[in-house]
Order: sequence, then C-alpha cells, then structure tokens
Amino acid sequence: MTPDLSFWTMQTLNALQLSMLLFLLSVGLTVIFGLMHFVNLAHGALYALGAYFAATLASHAGFWVALLLAPLGVAVVGMALYGGLIQRMRKSGPMAQVLVTFGLIFVLLDLTRIFWGDLALAITPPAILAGRVDILGVGYPAYRLFIIALGLGIFAALALILSRTQIGAMIRAGVDNDDMAACMGINVERLFFIVFCVGCGLAGLAGAVAAPLLSVTPGMGLEILIPTLIVIVIGGLGSLKGAIAGSLIYGFVQTFGAVLLPGVASILIYALLAAVLLLKPVGLFPAKG
Amino acid sequence: MLETRNLDKSFGAIHVTRNVSLKLERGERRVILGPNGAGKTTLFNQLVGEIVPDKGQILLAGEDVTALPVAKRARRGLSRSYQKNTLFDGLTVEENLALAASVHAGVSMTLWRDALQSVQVRAIVEEVANQVNLMPYIHAKVSEISYGVRRQLEVGVALATKPLVLLMDEPTSGVGPEMAKGFHDLLAGLPRDLTILIIEHDMDLAFAVADTITVLNYGEVVFDGLPEDARGSKLLRDIYLGAWEDA
Amino acid sequence: MFRHTPLRYAALIILFSGALFTAFTAGYFGMEILTEILILAILVLALDLVAGFGGMVSLAHGALMGLGAYAFVALATKAGLDPWVAASAAVAITAGTGWVIGAICARSHGIYFIMATLAFGQMGYSYFFEQSFFGGDDGMVGPRRFDLGFIGINLNDSRSFALFCLAILGVIYLVAMAILRSGLGRSLTGVTHNEKRMRALGLNVWRVKADVFGLSGAMAGIAGVLAAQHIMFISPKMLHWTVSGEALVVVILGGLGTLVGPLVGAVAFVVMKHELSHVTTYWHLIVGLVLIAVVMSRANGIFGFIEARFRPKTDRMIQSIQTRDDAKEIAKDA
Repeated sequence: MTPDLSFWTMQTLNALQLSMLLFLLSVGLTVIFGLMHFVNLAHGALYALGAYFAATLASHAGFWVALLLAPLGVAVVGMALYGGLIQRMRKSGPMAQVLVTFGLIFVLLDLTRIFWGDLALAITPPAILAGRVDILGVGYPAYRLFIIALGLGIFAALALILSRTQIGAMIRAGVDNDDMAACMGINVERLFFIVFCVGCGLAGLAGAVAAPLLSVTPGMGLEILIPTLIVIVIGGLGSLKGAIAGSLIYGFVQTFGAVLLPGVASILIYALLAAVLLLKPVGLFPAKG
Repeated sequence: MLETRNLDKSFGAIHVTRNVSLKLERGERRVILGPNGAGKTTLFNQLVGEIVPDKGQILLAGEDVTALPVAKRARRGLSRSYQKNTLFDGLTVEENLALAASVHAGVSMTLWRDALQSVQVRAIVEEVANQVNLMPYIHAKVSEISYGVRRQLEVGVALATKPLVLLMDEPTSGVGPEMAKGFHDLLAGLPRDLTILIIEHDMDLAFAVADTITVLNYGEVVFDGLPEDARGSKLLRDIYLGAWEDA
Repeated sequence: MFRHTPLRYAALIILFSGALFTAFTAGYFGMEILTEILILAILVLALDLVAGFGGMVSLAHGALMGLGAYAFVALATKAGLDPWVAASAAVAITAGTGWVIGAICARSHGIYFIMATLAFGQMGYSYFFEQSFFGGDDGMVGPRRFDLGFIGINLNDSRSFALFCLAILGVIYLVAMAILRSGLGRSLTGVTHNEKRMRALGLNVWRVKADVFGLSGAMAGIAGVLAAQHIMFISPKMLHWTVSGEALVVVILGGLGTLVGPLVGAVAFVVMKHELSHVTTYWHLIVGLVLIAVVMSRANGIFGFIEARFRPKTDRMIQSIQTRDDAKEIAKDA
C-alpha cells in the first residue's frame, strides 16, 4: 500500500470521527471530575445505555427521535444515580468512588443484559445520512461526517457556554476553587446536579450516535471506558481544552498507529499515557495548576 | 551553620520573601517575629526545600543546598517541626520517634528486621524522649495524648533525625501559658551546639529564649539583632504590635 | 502499623483449618475451587500490601500476575528450563517490573496513580495479545507442574497441588507480615500517613514505594506461576485490567489494610461467584450490588465489619472520647 492523498484524507477523517466520539464521552466525565472530584467509572456504562435506548427508540419512532430522546433518558438515569449514590459518595476518597462506580458497572451491565439480551442490536442510519460524500476524491460515509460535525458543534456550544454564560462562569469558578464558589453564593449542590446530568446526557448522546456505527452490545461500555479515561488523563482533568486535546491525540495516535505500525499500535497509546504522566503528572492541560 | 543570601520569592503578584539574608552561627538560637502574613512560614518552606526560591542561595554548614530536594537536605542535618501537628496518628509516641530516628540510623529501608529493634534507633528514641519530656507517654498512641503533649512530640519527631539545625514553626501554637513555660524549659534542655531557628508569636517567650531576633514584615527583614535592642525598638513596636492590634 | 489481634489470629486459624478440611474432604470440583481461592489469596495479599498499607491503588497487579505466568511458561517450554529455575526467573522478572512501575508512578497520587498503573498493565496486556511468539490471543499451554518427587509428593494430584498452594500462601503471609514490621514497612506506614513529613525527615520516599511495589510484584508473580501450573493454560486475559479490578474488589470486600480481610474476601468472592453462577447468569449484578453496599456502609469490608463488632467496649469508649477531642482540636484550628 502506498500512502497517497486519498489514504491520508481517509485516515484523518477516521481519526477525527473517533476523536469526536471520545470527546462527547470524555467531556462530561472530566468536567464532573474537575468540579466534584468524583471519579465515575460507570460513565462508559451510561454510554452503552444510551446506545440501547437509541436502538429501541429507533425501531419504534425513527432515528432522529432516538437521537433526541436517548440522551434525555440517560440524563434521567443520571439524576437517579446522583440522588441515590453519587451525592452520598462525594466526600469519600477516590478509592471508594472508584469501587462504587465499578460495582455500578457490574449492575448496569447485567441490567442491560436482562432487558435487551446478550445478542447485538443494530440500527441503520437515516436515509439522508446513508450515502457517501466526496471529499478530496474520497467517498466518505455521510454518517461519519455527521458525527464529526456533531462533535465539533457540541465542542463549540460548550466552549461558548463556559466562556459566555453565567452558569459557565459558575462552573469555571467551581473547578478553580470549591470554597470560593461556595463563598460567591453559588448553589453548589444544584450546580453539581446539573453538570452531572448534562455529563450523563452527553455520554448517552455518544452512545446513541455510536449505535449505527458499531453493534450495540452489553460490553460496549466497558470497551470504551479505558480509552475515555486515557483521554481525560492525557488531557488533564477538569478542562474542556484537555478533553478535546486528549480526544484528538487518542484518535490520531490510535487510527494512524493501526495503519502505519500495526504491530505496536495498541501498546503505543498506553506508552504515550505513561510518558505523559511521567513528564506531566497531572496531564497536559489540567484545570488547576 | 545556616545562611541565606538574598532570598527572593513571589507567588504571582504577591512578593512573599524580599531579599532575605540571614546568618546563624553554630549553636545560635534565633527567633523570627512578625505579624501574620509576614512570610515566616514561607521562609521556612524555602529553607527546607518545600518551596523553591526565585532567587538567592541557602547554605547549610557552608555548602550550597539551594538545589537539593527536601529529603537530601534533611539527611544533611536540616529538620523542621510544623505549626499544625503532622504526627502519625495510629502509632505510639515511641513509634513516631522511631520512624524519624530510623532514617538517621539508616534502617528505614531494611527488610526482615524491625527498625524498633535497632540499637541505634532505641538509643535516639530514648534520648529524644527524655529531652522533650515524653518518657511518661512513650507507649501511648498519639490519639491518646493531649494536644500539648502532641506539640512536644512534634518537636521530638524533628529532633529524632539528629539535626544540625532545627527549625520550629510556632511550637507553642494553641497551647496554654503553662505549656509555653514548659516549652522554655524544654529548649533549655536541648544541646547547646544545636542551631535553632524558631517562629514564635509569644513575645515574652521569644525574648526569653532568643540569642538573636529577626523581624520580618511583608517578607522583608526589618530588624536583625539582639533581644535587648529589639525590646526597645520603636520600629518593632510599630510594625509588630500595630499589626497585632489591627488583627 | 500492622498488628495482630486475637480476632485476627482466630480468623487465620479458622481459614487455615477450613482450607485443610476442604483439601481432605472435597471432591475434584471443590479442590479446583479451593486452589482458585488460594491463588487469588496470594494475589490479593500482594495488592493489600501496596493498596492497603501503602495507599497505592494498583490496577497493574493482574498484569504482573499474568507476566509471571507468561515468563514462567515461556522459560519452561520455549527455553526448556527446569520449572524451578523458570519460576525463580519469572518471579525475579515480575519483581523488577513491579519495582520500575512503582518507581515511575511514585510521583503520582490518587486517580493519576490508578491511571498510571492501569496504563502499564494494559501495555502488558496488549503486548501479549499481539505477540504471536507468545501465542497471541490464543494463549499458551502451560508446562509441567513442579516436581516434588524427591520428597514423595506428586503435584499432578489435585489435593497435593492444593496443599502446596496453601503452603506457599502461608509462607507469603508470613513474608508480608515481616515486611510490614521491618524498617521498610514502618517507613511505608509513615509515607502513607504523611508523605511530606517523611520527606522532611530525610526519607527517600520514591525508593520506599518502589521497593514495596517490587516485593508486591514478586508475590503477584508467584500467584501467576501457580495459576499457570494450576490451569495449565495461559491467555492474555490474565493481564486484562478487569482482573486487577476484581482483585481490588476482593481486597475491599474483605477489608483493606488488614491482611486477614483480603483472605476472607477471596473466599467470599470465589464461593459467591461459583454459587451464584449456578443459580443465575447475572451473578455480576449481585456482586456489584454487594460491592456498592459494602463500600457505602463505610465498614472496612467484611472483616472490618466483624472487627468493629468484636472490639472491646472500653476501646470503643476511648475512641469516642478521642473523636470528640479531635473535633475540638479541629474547631480550634479553624
């Protein structure tokens, strides 16, 4: 195979598409961590839940309804989790949080198996996104382009919300300094609740958009968890910039590694993570110094 | 024994240490006075290496230690106690002292042998426990002794590394006047060749134990001299008492 | 600091005699379960040493165990070494690897430490998954078991092998205890309590962490060698991070930082897994719920719960007085 322009275009688009999917997942996780110092390992399970919701809804009401309602459904599950578990675990150490959410992975995994069975589900993308679009001579699936656009759109929207709105300022203050945020009269509890639910909703959205791309299986949450964690640790916990940077790094290293250095591709990303932690123990763009 | 040359440190726009030069002779006992926020603890943190100064040098026994990490400085003979107790709560007084002594005795990394069984460690523990009057509590857990005794242990742990220079950050903070008197006796019992630098809020105690006095204000040395001279100094009164009354 | 209480001695005696009793009465299947418990117990002792006493929550221990298994099998079958030599070399390799991981991760704390160890563990997993020399994702067939013929023991008999594992576990327990009581163990306690203070006392903190991680790695390696001999087959799955995650669950379920607790946890976990998987395919759901309940109950696992129950009344009173004192002190500090 001689790499030519179409090869590079194709792989760049693949890398971007993977990056954007990871971004949707990691941004919620990282902001929740930055704000609440909470490690939610069950974030991947919520992504799987989003995919299952989408698969069920799509077969009854079509893709677009599924894309809209699945994230909302996951956000509602997030609300229940927050009230039942997360709120009580906030003051516990990272280890207790890791373990409770690890237990939650087990529970959610088996619940999806009970409700949807062990067989993989599939949904087809809507007709309008079913074809291919010609980019620099490459016929690229329209649906993958849609994911890239959606990711960039969400990134832009979040950047705007964080920098321009009052709630964005509150989140930034909260990530920067918990005490200060409380002193400024911010209702910290409500802020946490909103951010947690939005984060869960974004995980659900990632699951819903990933569903037509991959087959929907109970294990998909566990599979995506490690890449998501790598993204946020490389990027640095708590920052939007870190989430997008980490996602892009992961997406490109993984995609190009797989085609250019097939033997060591899977080791490459872990070596990169180890190297980052060695040189910058708190990631590339942490929210706090 | 301990010397700083033009030490300077800023955190962003806040200048916490300005051009501080100090010189402590062997066996000298110096008290650092100054209002809250004068940069006393920040100075300590730079001396032991927990904070890196922007400019200047720190010399220990004539050698430049500015670039050395905390642990290496400690092994060269610089030890400190903290303003807030940093003891090992689940352990006994003896074990607390032994932890510190084992580093000096070189048994902190041994396998198969309990550091407490080391003859050298036992000797240091006993010596220090006598110096800081901890013998009656030697087998008590930290959680079982009173706050005042914990303050004594805080100094004891620092002493158990057998330092050349001992830095004490407000050793009497939070204890009553009687205990503060006891602290005076404790200092009197320490070897005369040990160089001691103390941050102290209690002026009477400071004048009672100090050979020399340094006054810091806004990170700057504004007085450096004998207690007699400090006592009469209007400058000191204005800065220190003024700030004291304001607070 | 590790201390043996009468309750801990009692638990050890019960566990040991239970294991002996099972070994002499159980059938083939029970013997397999017993051996599984014993090997898991070695792994979780190794993990408790770093996580419970050193505050280093490792997600690399499954990989260290797997590395020990792979090194042993490769050296014994591919290089044709005597099983004893191969096993010693394999344990030396995991000790060295553990030491390096510990040294590199010593600067990281909390979630970053967890992630850093995860990265190293997954690196190992990916490596063995990809390398066709080591059988790739098909794994490898294990070698013969140790030959104890010279003292008249045939380890191919499952009872003998179970007893052999029990003996190794006993030795490792004693070693772990000795380490905790040694100078290194005391330094580790100090570092876990207050790393900054230990540094100010002149301690080489990273060396303490690396040394303990290396020793723990050696124990995980021993578990790997035994696992390879037990099931006589190894696959990259042994190195996957979920193995480390499960080991961590066992430690927590049993009681972190008690040495005895993780042993209880290993028994509870394996028995629960086997019993539940008879009843339902959804046994993970129940394990997950139990785990959540244990962590949220704030008790230090099953054994911590029992210890809290059995603690003499006077002790409890002293503690309640202390908590009040501490509260006062905190109020004063503020």
